[in-house]
Amino acid sequence: MSSVSPVSTAAPSVIKVQKTEQAFLSLKGLHKSFGPYEVLHDVSLEMHKGEVLAIIGPSGSGKSTLLRCINQLSPPTAGSVSMDGVTIEAGCSSSRNDLVKLRRRIGMVFQSFNLFPHLTVLQNVSLAQVRTMGRSKRDADKKSLELLDRVGLANKAELYPARCSGGQQQRIAIARALALEPELMLFDEPTSALDPELGLEVLAVMKELANEGMSMIMVTHEMHFAETVSDRVVVMAEGRILEQGISREVMRNPQHERVVQFLRAVRDR
Amino acid sequence: MNELLGLWWEWFPDLLQGFFLSLQVTGVCLLLGIPLGLVFALGVSAPNKAVRLIFLFVVELGRGAPALILLQYFYYGLPSAGITFSSFTAAALALAYCTGAYTSEIIRGGLEAVASGQREAADVIGLNKLDALRFIIVPQALRIAIPSLLGFSIIMFQASSLCFTIALPELVSRASAIGSNTFQYMPVLALAGIMYAVVCIPATIIVTSLEKKLGASSQT
Ligand SMILES: Nc1ncnc2c1ncn2[C@@H]1O[C@H](COP(=O)(O)OP(=O)(O)O)[C@@H](O)[C@H]1O
Ligand SMILES: [Mg+2]
Repeated sequence: MSSVSPVSTAAPSVIKVQKTEQAFLSLKGLHKSFGPYEVLHDVSLEMHKGEVLAIIGPSGSGKSTLLRCINQLSPPTAGSVSMDGVTIEAGCSSSRNDLVKLRRRIGMVFQSFNLFPHLTVLQNVSLAQVRTMGRSKRDADKKSLELLDRVGLANKAELYPARCSGGQQQRIAIARALALEPELMLFDEPTSALDPELGLEVLAVMKELANEGMSMIMVTHEMHFAETVSDRVVVMAEGRILEQGISREVMRNPQHERVVQFLRAVRDR
Repeated sequence: MNELLGLWWEWFPDLLQGFFLSLQVTGVCLLLGIPLGLVFALGVSAPNKAVRLIFLFVVELGRGAPALILLQYFYYGLPSAGITFSSFTAAALALAYCTGAYTSEIIRGGLEAVASGQREAADVIGLNKLDALRFIIVPQALRIAIPSLLGFSIIMFQASSLCFTIALPELVSRASAIGSNTFQYMPVLALAGIMYAVVCIPATIIVTSLEKKLGASSQT
C-alpha cells in the first residue's frame, strides 16, 4: 500500500490501531485542479476510527484543499474518498444521497469561524439540528446548551457572535459542528486567526475531544500541539504528502530533507 | 403673505387627502415590489441558464422602460387586451414592477456581498440550497441592502406623482386640479412641494445616518 510511509513501518508498536483493521477513512489517488493548475497531485491517505491526524506544511501546499476535498466542499478532480462504506468517486455523478450522507457525518471548523452573525449563539448551534436532523426546536436547544456548556459558553447562548471574543467564537463553531454528531471532525487552522491566549482555549477543547476518541484531522501550525495531541503527523508540500508517521518520530527525526527545512523554519519563527 | 396662508389653509384638506393616497400607492408598490425584487434577484442568479435569461429579460424590461410608460401601459394599454384596472390598481402594479426591477439589482448586490464563508458554513452543516438561502444568505443580504432599499423607497414616493397622468387623485393631481380651477398654479404647487419635502428630507437624513451606522458596524 502506497499510503503507508516508511517512518510508520519503522516505528515501534505504539500505534493505536492495528493496520489490518479496515480503514475508517480512505483517500485514494486524489487530484484537484483549479482551471489549469493542479494543486493536489495523487494524494492517498488512510485513517482509523478514533485517530487524530495533524497535517502540517508550508502555506500554499494544499492542506486546506485536501480537507475540502474530504468533505466534498470542493470536489476532487480525480480519485476517491471512502468513509465507512460510503465511497465518492470523483467525476462519477455520485448520487446526491451519498454526498449528503458523507457530508452529514463530517464536521468542519474554519480558520475564520464563519458563525452566522444575524443569529444568536444558540440559534447558530440549533439551526441545522432542526433543519437537517428533524429535531424539535426544544430538543435542539437542549442539546445546544449542553454543547455550549461543554465548551464553557452556556452563558453566551443569547448573545450574538459579534459580542464574543475570537476564541469564544471558535468554540461556538466547534459546538455547532458537534451538534450534528459527526464521526469525523476537520479543523482548518482553527487557531491561526486568534491571539495565542485565545488559541489556547480552543486547543483545550480540541484536546478534550481527541481524548474522548473523536476522529480528527487538523491542519495546524501549532507544532507542539500537533506533536502532543495527534497520533500521526502528515507533512505536505507542493500538493503532495512528503512524509507521515507517528507524531513524535516525524517531528523529532524527519527523514525528508524538505521536511527538515520546514520544521527548522517553523521553530526559528 | 396672509393671503397666501389663507389660500393654503383652504387647499390643505384636499391636498392632504391626495398626500395620503400618494403614501398608500407607494406603500402598496413597495410591499409588492421589494419581494418581487428578491424573486428577480434570485432568478437572475439562478444556476439554470434558461431561467436566468428569462429573468434577465424581465428585469431589463422593467429597468429600461420609463415608469411613465409602464403606468400608461397598465392603465390605458392593458384594457385593449381585455384587462381593466382601477387607476389605483394599475398604479400599484406598474410601480411594483418598476420597483421589483430596480430593487432586484440592489438585492443582488446584497446577495453577492454576503461572505463566501457563510455559504460554506451552511453547506458543511448540511443545509440544503433553499434552507441556506432562507436562513443564512437572504437575511444577511437584505440587511446589507436596507439603506439602498430605503433610499429607493424615497425616490418611489416622489415618482408616485407620475400617477396624475392616469387620473389617480393623488397629491399632484389634486394640486394641478386646484391650479386649473383657480389659476393659482404657483402657490398650490409650492404647497404640494413642501408636503413632499416634509417626508423626503427627514427620511433622507435618517437613511444616510443608518447607512453610516451599518457601514461602521460591518467593519468591526
Ligand atoms: N478556489 C481556488 N481557486 C484557485 N486556486 C486555489 C483555490 N483554492 C486554493 N487555490 C490554490 O491552491 C493552492 C493550495 O492552497 P491551499 O489548499 O489553500 O493551501 P494551504 O491550506 O496549504 O495553505 C494554492 O496555490 C492556492 O492558491
Ligand atoms: Mg489553508
